[in-house]
Amino acid sequence: MNAQEEETLRWQLRGLRRDVEPQADLWPGIAARIAATPQEAALPGKSRTRQLAPWAVAASLLLAVGMVWRMVPVAPQQAPVGNPLIRQQAVAMTLDYERAFAHLQQGDIQPEMHGAFGELDRSAAQILTAIDRDPDASFLLEQLRRTYARRLQLTQRAVMT
Amino acid sequence: MLTAAMSESMTDTTTAEVAAATDAALARSAAAGDACAFESIYRRHAGRVHGVIVRLVGAQGVRAEDLTQEAFVRAWQALPKFRFESAVSTWLHRLAVTTALMELRSRRGGPRFDEDEDALDGLGMTDSAGNGTALSMDLERAVATLPPRARAVLVLHDVEGWKHEEIANELGMAVGSSKAQLHRARQLLRGRLGGEV
Repeated sequence: MNAQEEETLRWQLRGLRRDVEPQADLWPGIAARIAATPQEAALPGKSRTRQLAPWAVAASLLLAVGMVWRMVPVAPQQAPVGNPLIRQQAVAMTLDYERAFAHLQQGDIQPEMHGAFGELDRSAAQILTAIDRDPDASFLLEQLRRTYARRLQLTQRAVMT
Repeated sequence: MLTAAMSESMTDTTTAEVAAATDAALARSAAAGDACAFESIYRRHAGRVHGVIVRLVGAQGVRAEDLTQEAFVRAWQALPKFRFESAVSTWLHRLAVTTALMELRSRRGGPRFDEDEDALDGLGMTDSAGNGTALSMDLERAVATLPPRARAVLVLHDVEGWKHEEIANELGMAVGSSKAQLHRARQLLRGRLGGEV
């Protein structure tokens, strides 16, 4: 096998990396198993963050997220087809808020908050999926911002209490 | 033209970023016990997870599907400890690899993953009807007939794009052993494909 054939083989091997859908829908079996399977406990938070007053962390993060979001230029209502600006803004916003949530949620969250968090996180995921399908729908960006703002507000409240 | 190419590349990138952000939001919800969010994660990633498991254990239909199910159950259990320091898709992919390799190690009734591999070296030399050298064997099938450890190293390095350090760590071997296994796997593969060894 010469060098060119070797190179061809390498490319062919890399081409084997593809998705393979299971022949059967595995979800019913997974759903049955996870219904009977407890999740592992979340890792404890980092001590450094715990030493800070939670309200101070929350306030500074809220301010930072708000400032970053205001600095991002607003997409025009009539964005050209395929313009990635809305997606970019959605991603930037999501990453900012994810960082804020990660900092705030260092400790245990009261169990009664899980339902509200789950609902808001699900909404955010649905809006992101919708933006992925229709990258010109600028109104979705405002919906996403409101959802994350509400999530941050609840997270702050959970941390302070 | 360049502008169009840049725009296309940018759109691809941001699509991937939006997908990653969506995954993170779903994972956060699933980590809090939301099975609906976890089903969305399953729907989005079943093909990728099942794909790598099939490549590592061979296309033994039902067994590979059992392992895919097992990988997702493990993901469900471990999600609360996921720190979002890597993409959810990367984490799931690695979990699928670990699940498949544990299966290879635990196989009974034949040569084990870690030893006696030479007994398997001749497996790919006959086709399903048992007739002679499999010159027409396609690449995927040729890979599937490699001895387990050589196949694991070849798949992880040449197909999945892992580095030797990562492979050695996952398989519990020295980096040099990973390189040697890759060399051996490529040699065996050439032989199965009918090339000069």
